[in-house]
Amino acid sequence: MAVINAVSLSKRFGRKQALDNVSLDVNGGDLFGLFGPNGAGKTTLLRIMTGQLEQDSGQAVILGIDAKKDPMEVKRRVGIVPEVESPPTYLTSYEYLYFVAKVRKIPDVEGSIERWFDFFDLRDARDTICRDLSKGMRQKLMLASAFIHEPKLLFMDEPFINLDPIFQRKLREYLLGYVKNGGTVFMCSHILEIAERLCTRAAIISDGRIIKSGQMSDLLKNGARLEEVFMGLVGKGE
Amino acid sequence: MLKEELRTHTTYSGRKRFFTFPIMVFIFAFIFGLSMQRLLQNTSLEQIALLTQGGAFIYGIGVGSFGFMGRQYIERGYGAKNFLVAMPALLPLTYRKTFLGLYLRDSIFYIALVLLPATLGLSAAAPFVGFKLTSILLFFLAAVLSFQIGTSLSFLGSVLYTRNIPSFVAFTSAIIALVILGGTMTMFDVMIIVPSIGMQLSVPPFGADYGTALLLGLEAVAAILALTALSLFLVRFRYVSREARFGTLLPRYMAHFRFSGKYTELIGKEIVDLRRSGTIGKMFFSFVLPLVFLSFTSWFVNTGLGLPIGFNSVFYGSMVGFMGILIFSWLNNVDSTDYYSLLPVSVPSVVRARIFIFMFLTTGISTTFVVILAFVQNEFDLLWLAILVMFVTSIYMVVMTAYLTGIRTNTFLFDMSIMSRFAVMSFLPDVGLTILSFSIRTSWVYALTGIAIVLFSLLGATAILYKGIERKWGRTGFDV
Repeated sequence: MAVINAVSLSKRFGRKQALDNVSLDVNGGDLFGLFGPNGAGKTTLLRIMTGQLEQDSGQAVILGIDAKKDPMEVKRRVGIVPEVESPPTYLTSYEYLYFVAKVRKIPDVEGSIERWFDFFDLRDARDTICRDLSKGMRQKLMLASAFIHEPKLLFMDEPFINLDPIFQRKLREYLLGYVKNGGTVFMCSHILEIAERLCTRAAIISDGRIIKSGQMSDLLKNGARLEEVFMGLVGKGE
Repeated sequence: MLKEELRTHTTYSGRKRFFTFPIMVFIFAFIFGLSMQRLLQNTSLEQIALLTQGGAFIYGIGVGSFGFMGRQYIERGYGAKNFLVAMPALLPLTYRKTFLGLYLRDSIFYIALVLLPATLGLSAAAPFVGFKLTSILLFFLAAVLSFQIGTSLSFLGSVLYTRNIPSFVAFTSAIIALVILGGTMTMFDVMIIVPSIGMQLSVPPFGADYGTALLLGLEAVAAILALTALSLFLVRFRYVSREARFGTLLPRYMAHFRFSGKYTELIGKEIVDLRRSGTIGKMFFSFVLPLVFLSFTSWFVNTGLGLPIGFNSVFYGSMVGFMGILIFSWLNNVDSTDYYSLLPVSVPSVVRARIFIFMFLTTGISTTFVVILAFVQNEFDLLWLAILVMFVTSIYMVVMTAYLTGIRTNTFLFDMSIMSRFAVMSFLPDVGLTILSFSIRTSWVYALTGIAIVLFSLLGATAILYKGIERKWGRTGFDV
C-alpha cells in the first residue's frame, strides 16, 4: 500500500521550474532513494511532501493525509532530517531532544532521550549548546530528533553527511532494521555507494523531472553500479 | 555584501515591494519640499535643519550595530543561510576587512535607501519653491556626515559590548549625557557632538562661512575615521566558542509556564534563547533608553523651556505602550527558526508565544516606569488610568505588529505597503491618546470619554487582529 502518493507535483521559484509534473509512489516497507544532481529538485520535493513548502499544482498524500491541506498532521506523524543540520543555537543537546519530545507529546520523555543519546553516543554533548557542537554531532542530534517519536515514515535529506564511518554503518543497520519492522524511508542522497546497498526502490530526478524510477534491482541490471546508471542518465557527457 | 543585504530584504517582501520604499521616501520628501513655505510660518528653517540632521544622526545610530551582528552571523544558526562576514575562517580574508566591508555595505545601502531618495525628492521640489540645488547638495553632504557619525558611534558601542559590557555601559551613558546636556539642555553647542550640524548651519541658506563649514566638515570626517578605526581595532577576530557547558533550564521554564497551555514548550524554549543569547540585556536597553530620553525631553519642555504642555502620566502610559514594538522586534531576532519547520509547529503559534513573552517581559518594567513617573509628577490620581492606557496600547501595538509582520518584524517593516499600514495603525491611536491626555486636567469628562472610546476600539482591534494571525500566517513557512 502506498504511504507516499505524489501526483503531478509542480513548483516554480521565480524563473526556475524546480519541479515539473512529478509523480511517484512509495509503498510501506520501502527504503526509497531519490537521486539527482545539485539543484535537480530533490529537496524541494521532500519539503513539499513533508508540508514544509506548498506546491503550485499537483497533490502529495502522505500516510493518507494531503500534505498541503494538513501539513501539521503530516509533521506530527513523520520524522524529518533536513539537508542542513540546523538545531536551535542556544539549547543544549538534551534540551533540544526534550523540546522535541514535549512538542511531539511523547509519553516517556526521559527514556526516549536516553535511548537516542546512547545510540548516537551523544552523552558527552548533553550540556553543550548546539552552537558549539561539531557538524557531525549536530547531524546526530537532528537524526535523534527525527527518530525520537518512532514514526512510521522517515524523510531524510542527506542523512549520512558529516557522519563518521562508524555511525554511517550504525545508521545503515538501523534503517535496514527499521524497514524490516514495517517502517518506510524516503531518502535523498549523493552518497551512491551507501544508497546502492541500502535502497530497495529508487528514482532519479533531473531538472525537476523524474527521469527513471523502479526497483533498485531493475535499475542495476547487468551488474551496473548505481553511479554508472546515474552518470549515464544525468552525467551529460561527464 | 551589498547583494547579500539586498537579497535578504527582497527575499521576504519581493523586489517590487521593497523598491517602493525609496520611491515613497522620494514622494514624501517631494511633498515635504512643496509644503516648506507653509511649514516655515510656524517653524524656522534652522529648526527644520536641526531636526533633519539630528534625524540622520539617530538613523545612523540605528544602523551601525554591526558588532552585535558580526557575532550573531557567526555564532547564531541561520539555518541554510550563510553570510560573508562569517567567512574569514574559510576565505583569505581578515575579520577587520570583513567588518570594514560590513560598515561600508550598511552605509551605502541605507544612504541609498533613505538619504539619497529624500535628497532627490527635495531636488524635484526645488523649482517650485525656489530652493537652490547647491543648498540641497550641501544638505545631503551634511546629512551623510551626520548619518556616518551616528553609524560610527553605534559601531564602536556594539564592538565595546562584545568585548566588555561595563565599557559599553560607560560609553553609552557618556553619549546619552552629551546628547542630553548639549542637545536638550543647551549647556554646550551640539556641534561638538555632531559637527556636520554646524557645517550645515554655516552654508546657504543659513550662512556663507565656507571656511568654518570646511573645518567642521573635516572635523566630522576625522571623527568618523577615528571612531571607525578604533572600532576595527577593537573588533573581536574570532568568536570561536569555548564549548561551554550549560545547566539544564528548559524543563524548569516549561514548568513555570505550564499555565500557558499549548504554548508552554515554545515559551520555555524562547525564554532559554533570550537568556543564553544575552538578548534580554539588549532589549532592556533598547526599551528603557528611549523612555528615559522621552521623559527627560518632556521634563525639559515643561520646566526648562517653561512650555505649559500637559505631559502627564496618561501620556507616558500611551508612549510606553507604543514603544513596546522595540521589544517585539528583538524577540523576532534571536535565532533562526528553520528547525521549527521539521516539527508540528506553525508560524502563528510561534507568533502568539512571542506575544505572550512580550507581555511577560514588559508588563513589570512598564508598570514600574509608569508608577515612578506618577510618583515623580505627583499624579497618583491618574495612575490607574495611566496603567490601563499603557496595558491596552502595549497589547494592541504588539498584536498589530505581529499581525502585520509575523516573525520577520525588522525586514517586513521595510516593505512599504506594510510600513504604511503600520504607520496608520499606530499613528492614529497615538495622536488620539496624546491629545486626550493633554486635556485631562481641563476637561475631565471629555478626556475620559474619549480615552475610553479609543481604548475600547484598540481592544476590539486587538481581538480581531489576534484572531487574524492564524489566517494571515497559517500557511506561511518558517523560511519565508
